[in-house]
Amino acid sequence: MPSTLISSVSEARDHVYDYVFKLIVIGDCYVGKSAVASTCCSNNNQKSRWEVYVPTIGIDFKIKTVELQGKKIKLQIWDTAGQERFHTITTSYYRGAMGIMLVYDITQEKTFENIAKWLRNIQEHANEDVEKMLLGNKCDMEDKRMISKERGETIAKENGIKFMETSAKSNINVETAFMTLAEDILKKYPQKDASSSPGSIKPGEKDPGGGSGSKGCCS
Amino acid sequence: MASEQSDCAASSEANDLSSLLEDGKNAKHLKCERCGSTILRKGDAVHVKKEIFLPHMKKKSENQAPDDGETLTDFWLVKDMFTFENVGFSNTVENKKFLICADCEVGPIGCQDLADAINLYVALSRVKHE
Repeated sequence: MPSTLISSVSEARDHVYDYVFKLIVIGDCYVGKSAVASTCCSNNNQKSRWEVYVPTIGIDFKIKTVELQGKKIKLQIWDTAGQERFHTITTSYYRGAMGIMLVYDITQEKTFENIAKWLRNIQEHANEDVEKMLLGNKCDMEDKRMISKERGETIAKENGIKFMETSAKSNINVETAFMTLAEDILKKYPQKDASSSPGSIKPGEKDPGGGSGSKGCCS
Repeated sequence: MASEQSDCAASSEANDLSSLLEDGKNAKHLKCERCGSTILRKGDAVHVKKEIFLPHMKKKSENQAPDDGETLTDFWLVKDMFTFENVGFSNTVENKKFLICADCEVGPIGCQDLADAINLYVALSRVKHE
């Protein structure tokens, strides 16, 4: 009943922004989650890290601003920061998350097998109307591929979520993936002005939780 | 040695300050010195004088202690993290979070002192003004 989706939205102040979307990135160790999180929506390819102080501390989250359908949206992106190693992704990490990027490595069979486990974890801990997306990362490493694109597509379809193959390293599809996820979250909000497409609900794209129930919670 | 450098940086900062200000706010966009990612839009931050210690951006040597840094005095103050266009937050260390570039992760460009309410500080000397 209490809709985190609505409560975690900060309304525009002085038209600085329209919405805040909290997104989290999960998946097995070494599938490139951090790389995916940091490649998201960046306009440049200078990814190599400087010898900086901060990496020794670790990054908590990032804020990135994107524009979708004339709305200024602040994406707050969280990376698990290694918690997954101990299978201790807790409810607190999922709390308030409106979008989840579930990542596996196309060169590591095990990371793909664990997708089912992650999906159960999401179901247990996350908000039921959370938007999910599956990413097969490291698609630049074609010669080491273990998981065909079709297998990724199939598991995504079975679970009613979108799928993309990405490469954080070669900057393939990562930005598109985050924009797609943000768009899917945005679709859940009633459109206030007529300029953008009125609250269209795409058939087949609904999440299994049946998130339409959240509509009644606002106002 | 390090203190000489920061003194020098501080004086050139002061000379340039007026050109960066408009009604006490930033007259220009704040961008990452390294990759050019937009950190704050113009007019979104207030200039404040405050002494804050920040670790150096560049590691000077392999065995540099993590607490090696400099005390800076000119900052852009932001009250709401979502005012930032693009920024990254480090994990908390001694009740502080450091700010980094969201794109290339260079930093710290500023910090958030969790004891100091919600105030977020970006060092003038660690960003480009465009």
